Amino acid sequence: MREQPNIKIATDAIKAWQLTAHIYTLIFLLITIGAIAVYIIFDFLPIWIIFIIAGLTIVEWIITAWIIPKLRWRRWRYQVYDQEIYIQHGILIVTRTIVPMIRVQHVDTQQGPILKKYKLATLAISTAATTHQIPALSEEEASDLRDQISELARVEQDDV
Amino acid sequence: MSNPKRLHPAAILFDIIRALKQSILGILPIAIIVISNGASFYLMIGAAVIIVLIILSSVLSWLRFTYQLEEDQLRIERGIIVRKKRTISKHRIQSIDLSQNVIHRIFGLTKVAIETAGNDSSTDAALSAVSMEEGRRLHDELKYKKQVSEAGSPEVPEEADIERTELDESSLPKRTIALKALIITGSTSASFGILIGLFGAAFSQVEALIPDQFYNDAVRLALSLGMQIMIIFAIIVILFLWILSILYTVIKDWNFTITRYEKELFITRGLLEKKQTTIPLKRIQAVGIKESPIHQLFGFARIYVEIASANTDNSQEVNTVIFPLLRKKEFTSFLSEFLPEYNYSSENLIHPPKKALPYYLWRSINIPLLAVIITGIFFSSYIWIPVIIMLVFGVMGFAVFQSIGYAIDAQQITVQTRIISKDTAIIPHRRIQALQQKQHLLHRKQSLATLDMAILNKGSGRHFVIKELRTTDSDYIADWYSYQEKTSSDINH
Repeated sequence: MREQPNIKIATDAIKAWQLTAHIYTLIFLLITIGAIAVYIIFDFLPIWIIFIIAGLTIVEWIITAWIIPKLRWRRWRYQVYDQEIYIQHGILIVTRTIVPMIRVQHVDTQQGPILKKYKLATLAISTAATTHQIPALSEEEASDLRDQISELARVEQDDV
Repeated sequence: MSNPKRLHPAAILFDIIRALKQSILGILPIAIIVISNGASFYLMIGAAVIIVLIILSSVLSWLRFTYQLEEDQLRIERGIIVRKKRTISKHRIQSIDLSQNVIHRIFGLTKVAIETAGNDSSTDAALSAVSMEEGRRLHDELKYKKQVSEAGSPEVPEEADIERTELDESSLPKRTIALKALIITGSTSASFGILIGLFGAAFSQVEALIPDQFYNDAVRLALSLGMQIMIIFAIIVILFLWILSILYTVIKDWNFTITRYEKELFITRGLLEKKQTTIPLKRIQAVGIKESPIHQLFGFARIYVEIASANTDNSQEVNTVIFPLLRKKEFTSFLSEFLPEYNYSSENLIHPPKKALPYYLWRSINIPLLAVIITGIFFSSYIWIPVIIMLVFGVMGFAVFQSIGYAIDAQQITVQTRIISKDTAIIPHRRIQALQQKQHLLHRKQSLATLDMAILNKGSGRHFVIKELRTTDSDYIADWYSYQEKTSSDINH
């Protein structure tokens, strides 16, 4: 494929994604604890089911918290040119997207509590038909980019 | 300039019908429950109250709905409790369409639908019933007066306008569908299949209502008549549905006429319900030609356009048909006549390489294959049924592979795809909203890539996907699309 974009997203993205994964794993952990409780109190479930559930929880935790964030971060790249935005992402399926500036309708920055903790923000670029996100940029970078893109984006209102 | 006017009183009727249609779905389940419990007296009272309320609100909203034509704008006031005023500037109006359904035609009325620029349907307006002359007057005033009054004195334009349109009318590209072509369209259309489905669904509902005794007798009778009679009966039903679908198409697209004006396409059609559609050229996002397998066999095709519009009411179709049936070899001349901005070049399509074929076959047969395996394990004597289905899907997958391709022209790309019907679309470069290249691990080893181009349409946008192209081809398209000069110079893969 064509040369990949140059700029990587913030390194803290890994931490933010890991934290998200930890939180999701909590749900699995609760299920595991519930299963153990059922086993102890009611003596209802066979013990091997407990082991399977516990095993799955650990595997899920390792994959989503320790493997995926790093791979994802390594792949995530973007570049903003005068005429277009070039984005690459995806671990197994690598996707490269070209969004021309003149097609950009509006740009948003978004920040949830986890991203806020690491002073990160997500940039969402919308055309008339699609939306593209660059996740986990540092706050200043996200707002700079937002202003820069909205400066460069000049949709001719007439031809959508 | 003129006083506020009301709509024709028939608008009340339309409003009542609309309200009844909307409320019937909500009321019906309740009604069924009530009837089955035997308390139908209360139901009658309830229904009467609702109907009276609907009539009252329709009359009131008719009373409060006024429109007024001013210097260069149309002002609409409406609303029973909350008064809403809307002013639509002439300059923002993209199209004004007059359409008449059966009731309109009995009273000599017309509906006026006004569409404005922009993708926000809330800025559009519709006058549900005005007299035909009034409709024409509104149409002309809003559409032409602006242009003409710039040229001459305010008194003359009316005449000049008529003269202008008359003069142009004959020289404008115009095409009307022949009745024969309409019948062919109807007899091969997909609405036939839909009708059969609907009939089946309706039948299964009716079945529940028929008294058991009668049903049993009928079934016994049918069985005693034997297989032949049953088959003949089924054929008659199918034939009847088929004729119905032909009739439906003929009535719907009766006298389908397309005219090319300087800046728009204008379509009129319909026997009972006369419809006008104006398609401003700058709203067209892509032109396409669709060939169902049957049409392909006889060399026919249907022409459509994808338009950017918020107006999705009264049709499930996301694209707009601009000619229902055309010989495929006429397509080039049709395009050069009506849409010379687009040119068609399907001869030199670039297809995905041979090594992409396994992916296409796999995608089409993976589910039937699962069925084969399951049947093989549990009911091995019936394995031929899923095997045949799998073969059919395999052939379809191969047909998809054979059809898919692209061709690039300086300012436009032609993309040919197929699900069941072959669909060839011509997309101008500047209409593509975003472009994506996708590649997974296996693709990377085989240097294949999938390409996805998004355009706007009446729905939520349409994606043209070409799967498993050579990486060089996909890069070529990406570079063609790229607005940035520097990236195109350093390709590496």
